Amino acid sequence: MDRVHSDQQLGIRQSRSYLPFLLVLIIASAIDLTAYYLLDRVSLSQPARIGAALLPLPGNLTLLLMILRRIRRLDEFQKHVQLEAVAAGFLATGVAVFIYGYLQKAHAVGALNMGLVWVFMVIFYAAGYFAAVSHYK
Amino acid sequence: MKNRIRVLRAEKDWTQAQLASHIGVSRQAVIAVENGKYDPALPLAFKIARAFGKNVEEVFLWEGGDGGPPSWSS
Repeated sequence: MDRVHSDQQLGIRQSRSYLPFLLVLIIASAIDLTAYYLLDRVSLSQPARIGAALLPLPGNLTLLLMILRRIRRLDEFQKHVQLEAVAAGFLATGVAVFIYGYLQKAHAVGALNMGLVWVFMVIFYAAGYFAAVSHYK
Repeated sequence: MKNRIRVLRAEKDWTQAQLASHIGVSRQAVIAVENGKYDPALPLAFKIARAFGKNVEEVFLWEGGDGGPPSWSS
């Protein structure tokens, strides 16, 4: 009984530690969407447009710092898994961008949207993470 | 590298989560080390051994072939 109780407490503690990150993620995403809306749908002066474009910067920098702090707190195994995931994300994105570049030269695809590069990276990072986790199970 | 974590854990009646909490690492780390999928660095190996009140050599066995005779082979 003690064993189950202690495992449950551990689970609750771990899920609570993600709350500040999730909160900042939600706020930063809302600011991102607001900035996109302002730039896309609202008629603004040029200085105001620059201000709107830079609006997501503080939230995103906060997220970046929170992620770096989290990485420093990971244990050696988790750091190992993250290294494999980041390497997979970085290298596979490089390959994807290269291939896209060649396809562009072959006039098979249009110009690359830079936002897509980040999406590629996230997808490849997630694939790398799950591959690493299942490898060490 | 072989290890006796599963046996020692059973002796103490600890779950993997409890051992992980005891030594301050994730449960995934304990699972990976216990299953022999991941060889820990020295600090983690010492932490695990100390958690069981053992020396590192009593918990981990090097199987590289160049590290001298293996122990607890019986």
